[in-house]
Amino acid sequence: MPILQHLCQMLYDSHLGTAIRESDYAFPLIESIHVLGITLLVGTIALLDLRMLGLILKNIPVTRISRAVFPLAWSGFAVMFVSGFLLFWAEAAKNYSNPAFRIKSLLLLLVGLNPLIFHTTIYRRVHEWEVQAASPWRARAAAIASLALWNCIIVSGRLIAYF
Amino acid sequence: MTPLQWFLSLSHSPLGHLMQTLKWGFALVETVHLIALAVLGGSVLLIDLRLLGVVLRRESATDIRRDLSKLLLGSLVLMILSGIVMLSEEAMKCYYSPAFRWKMILLAAAVLFYFTFHRRALMRTGTGSPTLWSRATAVVSLTLWLGVGVAGRAIGLI
Repeated sequence: MPILQHLCQMLYDSHLGTAIRESDYAFPLIESIHVLGITLLVGTIALLDLRMLGLILKNIPVTRISRAVFPLAWSGFAVMFVSGFLLFWAEAAKNYSNPAFRIKSLLLLLVGLNPLIFHTTIYRRVHEWEVQAASPWRARAAAIASLALWNCIIVSGRLIAYF
Repeated sequence: MTPLQWFLSLSHSPLGHLMQTLKWGFALVETVHLIALAVLGGSVLLIDLRLLGVVLRRESATDIRRDLSKLLLGSLVLMILSGIVMLSEEAMKCYYSPAFRWKMILLAAAVLFYFTFHRRALMRTGTGSPTLWSRATAVVSLTLWLGVGVAGRAIGLI
């Protein structure tokens, strides 16, 4: 058995994994937090993306909006990461061979790479373009990528239960 | 037409039959519901945090409202439409579900509150700092919308 699959099987068979999976309350509760956490993580980032695309709040400099959004998005990330990891843990062995889960994992990697590139390049010079209604094309590209990736992540996340 | 009759006719409608037979229908419509939820939630969060004086304190609350209200209402409409489509698949189950009834009550309250007290609070705040009134409005708004979300989640569980 490949090592990754072995790892997933170990998580699945563990005390914690089994407890979450078989509990009447734990899995639905953690899943509810995960679903509602989407608003905190994706909803706020979407607003920043729409700002950079020049579609909303054009009078407000981009940095003011990012200053509002980043703490919320990071909090959302913490909520989603913890709840998501617990959900994964409970179903790890099944998730290993689940195509929807594999796609979601790949998309999550990409949606993390996108802001990494964004922040180390065009955003470094944000003070040059923060008051513009529509941001430079590199920022807009990052915004579109962000919106597209998050949409696909939500779709693939929902489809996990169907495979 | 009584509510019961409306629910019955929805579940027997062509839309209802379509949703009841499609294998992937419900899941795909639900993802639309979730994506719209993200946008609705983000808008509500930012508007109410402004009312609380936590974010965007130097910006005008009316300016923020002007743009985010379009986003809020647009995503709300999308959620209601996708909600009706999902409802057509299991109308009678929802009709008798306490979670669903609670969700509808809280949704009506949230929307009503949004167009009345909430609107007034945003107009009054303008570029100013938050008052006790605006803070209370924000807390009520956040609670109502969170309630809608929690009740909606409970539909599948209770």
